[in-house]
Amino acid sequence: MFYTLKVTTVKKETSDASTISLEIPQELKKVFEYKPGQYLTLKFSIEDKEVRRSYSLCSAPTLDNVLTIGVKRVKDGLVSNYINDTIKEGDCIEVMPPDGRFFATIQPQNYKTYYLFAAGSGITPIFSILRTVLLTEKHSYVYMIYGNKNEESILFKEALDELQELYNDRFILIHTLSRPKMKWSDLWNSKTDLYRKGRVDEKSIEWFINEYPLYAQNAEYYICGPGSMISNTQQALQNIDVPNDRIYIESFGGNTTAKTIEGYDNAQLKVEIAGKIAAITVPKGKTILRTLIDHKYEPPYSCEGGVCSTCICKLKEGKVHMKNNLVLDEKEIEEGYILSCQSIPISEKLEVVYE
Amino acid sequence: MDKKSEMGKKMMHDLPVEAYTSQEWFDLEMKEIFSKTWQFAGLIEDVQEPGDYISVQAGLNNIFIVKGRDGRLRAFHNMCRHRGTQLLRAVGKGKKAITCPYHDWTYDLEGNLISLPKQKEEFPELKGELHKCGLNLHEASVDIFKGMLFVHPNKNAPSIMEFFGEVEPYLGPHIVEELVEYKEKDETPFYTKEIQANWKIIVENYIDHYHLAHLHEGTLNMYDHAKAEFGWAGPHYWFYEPLIPAYAQDVKNASPQPLIDSVSEDKIGAYVPWLFPNIGITEGESAWNTFHVTPLAPDRTLVVIRSKMMNVSEWEFTKQYTKSSMSKVWQHYGNKGKYDGDPETDPMASGDFMLEDIYACEQQQKSLQSPFFSVGAQAQRGEFAIRKFQSVVKEWIEKHQELK
Repeated sequence: MFYTLKVTTVKKETSDASTISLEIPQELKKVFEYKPGQYLTLKFSIEDKEVRRSYSLCSAPTLDNVLTIGVKRVKDGLVSNYINDTIKEGDCIEVMPPDGRFFATIQPQNYKTYYLFAAGSGITPIFSILRTVLLTEKHSYVYMIYGNKNEESILFKEALDELQELYNDRFILIHTLSRPKMKWSDLWNSKTDLYRKGRVDEKSIEWFINEYPLYAQNAEYYICGPGSMISNTQQALQNIDVPNDRIYIESFGGNTTAKTIEGYDNAQLKVEIAGKIAAITVPKGKTILRTLIDHKYEPPYSCEGGVCSTCICKLKEGKVHMKNNLVLDEKEIEEGYILSCQSIPISEKLEVVYE
Repeated sequence: MDKKSEMGKKMMHDLPVEAYTSQEWFDLEMKEIFSKTWQFAGLIEDVQEPGDYISVQAGLNNIFIVKGRDGRLRAFHNMCRHRGTQLLRAVGKGKKAITCPYHDWTYDLEGNLISLPKQKEEFPELKGELHKCGLNLHEASVDIFKGMLFVHPNKNAPSIMEFFGEVEPYLGPHIVEELVEYKEKDETPFYTKEIQANWKIIVENYIDHYHLAHLHEGTLNMYDHAKAEFGWAGPHYWFYEPLIPAYAQDVKNASPQPLIDSVSEDKIGAYVPWLFPNIGITEGESAWNTFHVTPLAPDRTLVVIRSKMMNVSEWEFTKQYTKSSMSKVWQHYGNKGKYDGDPETDPMASGDFMLEDIYACEQQQKSLQSPFFSVGAQAQRGEFAIRKFQSVVKEWIEKHQELK
């Protein structure tokens, strides 16, 4: 279900990223409630083709009365460039209500340590979590490491500086830069001490956690960034026995590790969707989701990248191969849940239910 | 008949006298108070490195705390899921696995059962992955508050800040984590004493403002009792009093140990809160102490005091001690017995405030069995805290009994 929302502000944050704020009409306040970390799905018609993209909210639910998303240009990216080039104040955009399984559950009485790991535009949901925690949970601590290419590509730099100053007793932020822009004047400018050189990787995370051990013992770990940063961070945390149920991950694309697996040709699919039952044939290599769309069904979906989980359904019979899965855990897969946008039939007969 | 016998029970204030003498009350408190609250488990430095662990008795529960390689503390009930044997003893290094000495059942540091001898032959019913067989260690909670470790028997306990948050603003400004523990001999706390009195008698003595100027007239008189401020925040008691002017003026020289530098000059004094149910802190000008009370029997209680001081060299302590012993302050204050007598054998002549308090507590406990005993009257300001403490105990028990 899409709603039309009006753009209140467009702010250029860095040379290749903008934030877009959307107004929430009073009657839609309830529909657009969200938790820090969740995303919005936007629908555009570009060159006569309908396209959907999901963008994390960087606004904080209880603190801001507009919905703000951050959009960074992707090289040759259809939608990110369209947004950065054409969207302006007063425009109307088709938006689906907030969703996503990457979020923090914030409560004023919490006493927690939040380790936040962000790289590049992965800061957007992290920024929402960060602000909500600092302003709502007065006893909790935040230890954050934020990776960027150089000083100029740091999103929300000013706001982060301000938070650091305001909450210096319980917020630690380390910037790490993969290709810092060294100037000769930096040699005698102590400000360069604020930056660490390198990426958010196993080495820097090991250093970071040793340097800043947790105080409040109920710790949670939030990771958001491109594919390799996610797996490196996850690996570093697993190396030191951080339990998986304390790690929360949001992947920002860039993960193409999927193996090629032969799909079953003309698999017979029985599907229960919106209370109706249908039988269709899935061509070889096509996903369940795309097959349903081709047959004019309206399955729920948004990212089509195996990241958001909107298209989740339950496999009752048969086998599928998921090209990419960045959300479902072992237990859910055991229970039969699949991402229909990533699932290719590998058995002759299948039965799925959209619950 | 007077009012007290009408109710059938002789009262202290809000609690019946038998709450201080009977096994029944002792058992009730063990179950409803000491096994349902955040319990003091030590200082953060007790579990410093990954693999370090300690075990503590917290009410009816024995809980162990172990630090993982991620620096996070985990707490589990110290009980093998096979036949209940305690797994770990005292302090030590646990490395990566915990093995029960009885039959070598082994758990990882997340409490998962990972191996047991002769699994296939002896336990054919345990199929699949062992950690999914419902035999993992029972998880408990552990957290840190003001440099102290606390455990709670429930895995999903309310956060420690929900419990202590209200009293936190009234505590001293001391940065406890910077201080180091003072130990008489290696690995023994500063002070340990078994006292022949009910634990509540000791708490009531600790929070009694009225007695300071009298029982301790010659010992704690370097603090200005007339200027004391105190009150309650949630179930916890807070207390502050400044130094007397003569001591305050010369405190840099007169202080027996180096002054704690995280306390600014205008904040110097004695902060003496009581955290419900059984841990007091005495936060002074040169020492920061925990005063942990463990009930052993209706009329026996263990008191363990641990003391932290400035992290400076032995030489700094020697210099300060020399300066202090030359200060005129101590010619008038701080170390005289209440009565004349042999300081070695008579606590009232000892000039030691702990001995004075222990004496008062034990003498009071002795009278509780007397048919003629009753509480005569209550000082409305100076002893207000005693009635309040009793009502907190009573309400806590009633609330938790209802929850069943």
